[in-house]
Amino acid sequence: MAEVELAGITKSFGGFVAVKDVSLHFPAHTTTCLLGPSGCGKTTLLRIIAGLETPTSGTISIGGQDVTRWPARRRDIAMVFQYPVIYRGLSVFENIALPLREQKLSKQELTSRVEDAIGLLGLERSLKMDPERFDNGTRQRVAFARAVARRSSIILFDEPITNVDPESKFRLKQDLKKITERVRQTIIYVTHDQNEAMTLADQIVLLKDGEVLQQDAPRRVYNHPQQRFGGWFLGSPGMSFLEHPFDPAQGGRLQSDLFPFPVRIAQAQSVSVSAQTALRLGIRPEHLRVSTMPEADSVPGTVLRKFRGVAGQYLVAIKLSKHLVWAKVRHEVGKSLGETVWLRCRPEAVTVFDDQDQALSAGLVKDSPKDSP
Amino acid sequence: MFEVELENISKSYGSEPVLDGVNLRFERGRFSVVLGSPVSGKSVLMRLIMGLEPPDRGRVLYRGQEVTAQPAGLRNFGYVPQSFALYPHYRVFDNIAYPLILAKKKANLQARVEKVAQKLRIDHLLSKYPNQLSGGEKQRVALARGMIKDSSVFILDDPLVGLDFKLRESLFVDLRDMLSEVEGSVIYSTSDPLETLALADDVFVLDDHRIIESGSLDQLYEEPHQARTLQILGVPAANFIEGKLTGRICTTPLGECEIEVAEETAASRAVRIGVRAEDIRFQDLGTSYLLGEGRVLLREDLGAETLLYFEAGGLRFVGFWSNGEAAPIQEEQFKFGVDPSSLHVFDAGSGTRVAEARSVLVRSN
Repeated sequence: MAEVELAGITKSFGGFVAVKDVSLHFPAHTTTCLLGPSGCGKTTLLRIIAGLETPTSGTISIGGQDVTRWPARRRDIAMVFQYPVIYRGLSVFENIALPLREQKLSKQELTSRVEDAIGLLGLERSLKMDPERFDNGTRQRVAFARAVARRSSIILFDEPITNVDPESKFRLKQDLKKITERVRQTIIYVTHDQNEAMTLADQIVLLKDGEVLQQDAPRRVYNHPQQRFGGWFLGSPGMSFLEHPFDPAQGGRLQSDLFPFPVRIAQAQSVSVSAQTALRLGIRPEHLRVSTMPEADSVPGTVLRKFRGVAGQYLVAIKLSKHLVWAKVRHEVGKSLGETVWLRCRPEAVTVFDDQDQALSAGLVKDSPKDSP
Repeated sequence: MFEVELENISKSYGSEPVLDGVNLRFERGRFSVVLGSPVSGKSVLMRLIMGLEPPDRGRVLYRGQEVTAQPAGLRNFGYVPQSFALYPHYRVFDNIAYPLILAKKKANLQARVEKVAQKLRIDHLLSKYPNQLSGGEKQRVALARGMIKDSSVFILDDPLVGLDFKLRESLFVDLRDMLSEVEGSVIYSTSDPLETLALADDVFVLDDHRIIESGSLDQLYEEPHQARTLQILGVPAANFIEGKLTGRICTTPLGECEIEVAEETAASRAVRIGVRAEDIRFQDLGTSYLLGEGRVLLREDLGAETLLYFEAGGLRFVGFWSNGEAAPIQEEQFKFGVDPSSLHVFDAGSGTRVAEARSVLVRSN
């Protein structure tokens, strides 16, 4: 089947290395989102899979067959671009049918494939209209239908909902979700939008500076980032980080400004640092409980900033000793800037990163004297 | 006295009106955001204030003095254009110094550039070129260029448009800090509601070539007087349903409620009823709530929260819940409710708010 395998893919443009030694597996019938900021190499990777770019080194195989040297046309891949492609002078039906015309299908087969795609995308009522007059959202849905009707083994999407208005965005996301659930193709989807990736993907490949940082199911990438970057990149706002000195001679124990009690790394022996170093504790805003009165196990901080975010939630930036942490709070917390508030969190909610920004596999726990080695 | 005022400003390109009778007053020391759709003419408005374009009609005043005919170089406003627009072939130093060179104020050039660069912590970048900078560094350079003239007014024209969401998110937090350091008045345009919520003291909604509503951010978020304001100031965009108002009784597809109206009319009139996503409840539904039954269209995972798009009685809604809470909506069908006091009721024709006070439930469907 149409699984896709990248082995040691590198792509340089002059002196600039856009993709560095990337090996990835895209299982058949699943949706993978290539997620990362501008310049992370995600679009270059997609174009390499499509055959629109040749890798400097490495191989691509589709369904077990090495296609590295194959031209784009031979690869049986449909692609949807950022700007919707509409063929001028053709009806909606013909716009969708065009790639099928070269396939020597029976008329019946062609019609049924196009009609299926029209049904899936809900384009029935747009059939009689001139597609050139469509807004970008509807044009993109025609492009989606064209990609689906082809029944190629792979569909590639390159940030397909970037250039549309918010109303069309919802519609397109809904259509994409339907496509990922209903069609049997292997889907590879490029985006810089974490929410799109979390919503659409079976697996997320997080990229930065041309390298793969993590490949996992969406909730796993969110809950267990392997690098500090992933903790920051997913979530809005993402993780806050507190840097603390760490001495491996102390049996994994450390003192953090986040807790009024000592904490320690759950399996201290798993920590590979041997010398005195610094660790960073990553904590997500939703795992901090903030109150206006001191509570058991809470630490005081000062409200620096407060504003509304998505769905009217209040975000606050809190100064905690020398650190800055973000939390999501109710209206009554942090009414005035400079106010003292009390923060509480469970040590288990923290992800610990080493001085190379790699997450430790072990979590954090409260240190009680009886646990002393 | 206002820092900057626009009086009855109009501007057309050919037969296309862009601004039609715009009146605006920006207060000193405030962070003022002009919020409008991408094609609302925000950029033209910013360029008019800056003096880069003349209005067809109307006056621009700075601290009570008319400056309409004054060229940009003499207005002494700091300016940060869309996407920073740095000169790629100039070093950072020259990019920052450019407004002074243009205004022929070359005295102490070196010292002034260094001073503003230090303030924005980019003094180590002065000999680099823009393409050697990160997004955050570029923003600082653009801001430094906007601040070099010792202005008291900073005009930022949609400076973060087109950047990745994560970069924008970190930049707008820094931006507020940097601008509060210089203690000037800020006039900032954007089409992004999240940027507006994070930055604004005051909001001016530009729509249909005019300023349709202005006020403090809290006032406009909590009790907008225009349906359009409710729609564009908030993420996700608020839900709207059609209804009918007869006397004090408001009939909605979810049931009836009684609202306090400024003017009671005997004849019934069409209303548009706005409901914010956060005001749709999925659990602990009160007996005083309007109730409905929804069917899931899409769950959008925001990481810590979920946006739930659903359909009810042929209408589409979007609701919201925190992933930390127990999520009752694992089912494809579920019950939801709205507290009538959270409804925003607008006249369907004019889009103006009709209910000033809280409404109560009469009958739920």
